[in-house]
Order: sequence, then C-alpha cells, then structure tokens
Amino acid sequence: MGKITDRYAIVGVGESERSRNSGTTPLHMALDAARSALHDAGLNAQDIDGFMNYNENDSCTSHDLATYLGVRPKYVKDIQGGGSSTEMLIGDAISLIEAGMLNTVLIFRSMNGSSGQRVGRGYNPDMLQSALPGGSYIIPYGSASPSQWFGMFATRHMHETGITKEHLGHVCLSFYEHAQRNPKAFLHGKPLTMEKYLETPDISYPFNIHDSCVELDEANAIVVTSAERAKACKSKPVYIMGITPRQCHPNAHYWADLTKVASDYVGEELYKSAGVKPEDIQVASIYDCFSWVVLRQLEAYGLAPRGEVGDFAAEGNLRMGGSLPTNTAGGMLSEGYTHGMNNVLEIVRQLRHQYKETDRQVEDCEIGICTGWSGPDIAGAMILRK
Amino acid sequence: MEYQKPIPLKTEDNKHYWDMADQHELSLQKCNDCGHYAHPPGPSCVHCGGQNLSWEALGKDVRATIYSYVITYRPFLPGFQDDLPLIIAQAELEKVPEVKIMCNVIDCKADNVYIGMSVQMTWQDITEDRALPQWIPVVV
Ligand SMILES: [Zn+2]
Repeated sequence: MGKITDRYAIVGVGESERSRNSGTTPLHMALDAARSALHDAGLNAQDIDGFMNYNENDSCTSHDLATYLGVRPKYVKDIQGGGSSTEMLIGDAISLIEAGMLNTVLIFRSMNGSSGQRVGRGYNPDMLQSALPGGSYIIPYGSASPSQWFGMFATRHMHETGITKEHLGHVCLSFYEHAQRNPKAFLHGKPLTMEKYLETPDISYPFNIHDSCVELDEANAIVVTSAERAKACKSKPVYIMGITPRQCHPNAHYWADLTKVASDYVGEELYKSAGVKPEDIQVASIYDCFSWVVLRQLEAYGLAPRGEVGDFAAEGNLRMGGSLPTNTAGGMLSEGYTHGMNNVLEIVRQLRHQYKETDRQVEDCEIGICTGWSGPDIAGAMILRK
Repeated sequence: MEYQKPIPLKTEDNKHYWDMADQHELSLQKCNDCGHYAHPPGPSCVHCGGQNLSWEALGKDVRATIYSYVITYRPFLPGFQDDLPLIIAQAELEKVPEVKIMCNVIDCKADNVYIGMSVQMTWQDITEDRALPQWIPVVV
C-alpha cells in the first residue's frame, strides 16, 4: 500500500441548487455549496485554511469565496481546468497537508454551465487556434467541440473493439435509470428507452444528445483533511486509499495518437497506491461527459476487458444490482455537470451508506473508484473506502 | 463571397506546412535524429526531443486510408452552416502510415464514409493566397 493510504479523508460534501438558469452568480452558488459541505462535515469556515477551485474563467475565485464566508484564508489556489481537476486538487491538498502547510482544504467548482458559457457549443475559433496545441490542424476543419474531439477517438475505438451505438445506449440507459431514483437529478422523471435512444438523431456521430452530459448551473464543494482531524468531524469520513492525481497523453496534440488516452496511464499506479485490484471495486463514479468515455475508461482501469466493455454495460453491470453500479445519482449524463465533482459527491455518499434502507444504496459497498477525464489528454483517479 | 470559416493560422513552427499547402503540396516535418515524422510540426521532435529537424516533400499525389471520423450535424464554428452534415476524418498516409492527417472529406455523402476507405489529398483554394488540404474519395 502507498504511503498516504487511509491517512486522508473527504469529510464534507455539498451542492447548490441545480438549474438551467440560476439567475445568480457563481459566487452565490459557491457559497451555498461551501456552506452545505461545511455543515455536512460539522465544521466552521474558520476551520478551513486552504481554498481551491478549478474553472474555465467562468467562476468566482477562492479568495472571493473565503471572503464571503467571513474568513481570511491562509492559502488560495485557482486553476484553469475541467475534468480530472477535482482529483488533481485533492492530490495537491493532501501534499500540502502532508507537508504541514495546511490542515483542512475546501475544494469547489461553481459554474453557470447553462445560462453562462457552454462548453458543448464550441469556442471562439481564433482563440482556439492559438490556445490549443496544433489548433490550426483541427479548427479550420470545423472541429471545435469536445463531442467532435472525443468522437474521433470513439469511432476508431468502436471499430477496433466492436462497440456499437447500442452499447453506448446501455451506458445512457443505466445512468438515466439511476436518475429516476434521484429527485435532485436534472433528468429525474425523464426515463430513457433503447428505442427512444436509437431514434434520437446524432449531434455529431457517434454521439446524440443522450450520449452527452447535461449542461447546467450548479456548484459543488468538498472538504479534505487528515484522518486524524477527520475524527473531530460530525460526518462519517470516507478515506482515500490511493490516488493518481494526474497522468497525460504522450502528445499535447492528442489526436496524434487515437489509440492512447491519458486514463491508460493512471490505473497501474492507482491500484498499487491503494493496495487493491480492479475486482475489489464495488461502486464507481466514472467521468461521463460522453457515454463512450465511460466505456473507454472501464477498459483503461481494468474494470472490464477490452473488447467486452460494451457487453459489460449491456448486461446491466452499471445498474443497481449489477457487478459495478456506476454513477448512481445519474452521472453527468442525467444528474448534473460540474466537470466531475458531482460524481465525487455521490460516491462519498454511497460509501458512507447515506442512502441506507433505500433503493439508492449500493448494498454493503466498501470500496469505490472515482475517475476524472479532462479529455484523451489528461486524467486522474482515486480509490476511496468506507 | 468572402470565406467565413477559420483560416489556418501560420506560426513559427507550422509555417512551412501551410506555405506548401498554399502551393497544393504536402510537406512533413521529420526528425533526423530518430527518423520519426512529426505531425503537427513543432519546435522539436515529440518522439526524442531532438532539434535536428527537416522537411520532407511528399508532393501533390497523396494517398491515404480513412482511420477515424466524426459526422457533425450542427455547426460549431462560423462558416460551416452550409456544409452539414460535415465529415471530419483522420486518414493514414499510404507512404507514411505513422502520420495521420485530419481534414474534411469532401464530395462524399455522410452515409458513405467508413474506416478503411481510400482517399486522396486535394487542395481547396479558400482565399486569393491560401489553400486548405482536404480528403476526397478515390474513384475506383
Ligand atoms: Zn526524434
């Protein structure tokens, strides 16, 4: 087992309301999420000495948040990033606590992802050509959305491994089914059938609207501290068994090699650091900006064998009662979308057995995996336990 | 009518590629230290970090095979609204399989594109002095 195993814990999780139009600023939503996470942990804002957030220039700063929680922070960090940033910042928080520089860190993501700027609608073309590595080799061809960028990987991978559109549909159906048990999921009350999925036209093949995450206004927050300090919190701590906060594709212009994704480099170190094997995992939060991304990660993390991941989903393994209930609040495909943090909140609640005696609880689950995916370029993951 | 789509931005590192494209030719960056090709071109070799780079002219007859693709039904950038559905595809070069180049597949119905399809490079004159490499199906 790794040197940090079980020595750090997530002690608080919280969220703001989620909607298509919050009518308020990211600061207001971040305050709601932070207060909720602090309340969950039984901590005061004064107990937090480090504040961190990730954003795409669409949020408030960590200093802003601390200020309006009424505290002077010792340490603030705002990074530019989307998927897998939660895992990276948790890694940073652990490192800073381990080095004795901080005690307890609050990490948040707040975004008006629907009423403000929307990722799925593409970006400014001139900005992209200079900002993206090799941007002038994709932008002039009309490729400016993650659905197109990741879709290029998906079509090739589906061709090589026999994954069909129907297999993608099974990922969607599994998560939509979870969302029907979660009154706070955005697509609660909107179940999906395979017939409906298959007749939905593509936005960008191989993805239709169901294969794509919901874009919403929402904020999430989590509190990380040492196992020692966790004892003083009112919540049941969820321990970090192992973490690989970040790995990268060999090429920043990741289209140069469609056969590799950053997640392929995460698993080995992750399982070693946690001292467990893929078959020990009982519940999962797999980053799901698109349905196919889930299947590709199941393969990368050894949770299902290459060539069989589509069938793994089709057999119901991602559903409640399956061998690996995944994104049990509905995931980003149907619950909400905060670039991965809502999936972290859910797995913490599962591992605490917070849904005990309801149909939402993955029975007796003790070990879970949570993965982050920025794209084929950058990924990270952690393994958590009760 | 004025060209509405984004025009490839020439930089210090990619200028030669686009200059050659403007003359309807393909040129690829190659590392003289490890022998690998680099696409897109850069300030040094992505395989070994070597700085001993050169350009290899592949001329006007560039054959390739579709390696992967997406078909887009919605314009994500200005200028593409009249080109839907739009095929964006990576094709593996016949002469240099390690290099895969992303272009649109033009003169091809969306239903007809497939992995393994033979294509050849063509150049669209998009402005008075700029040209854009594209893939076009090889007519058998
Ligand atoms: Zn080299």
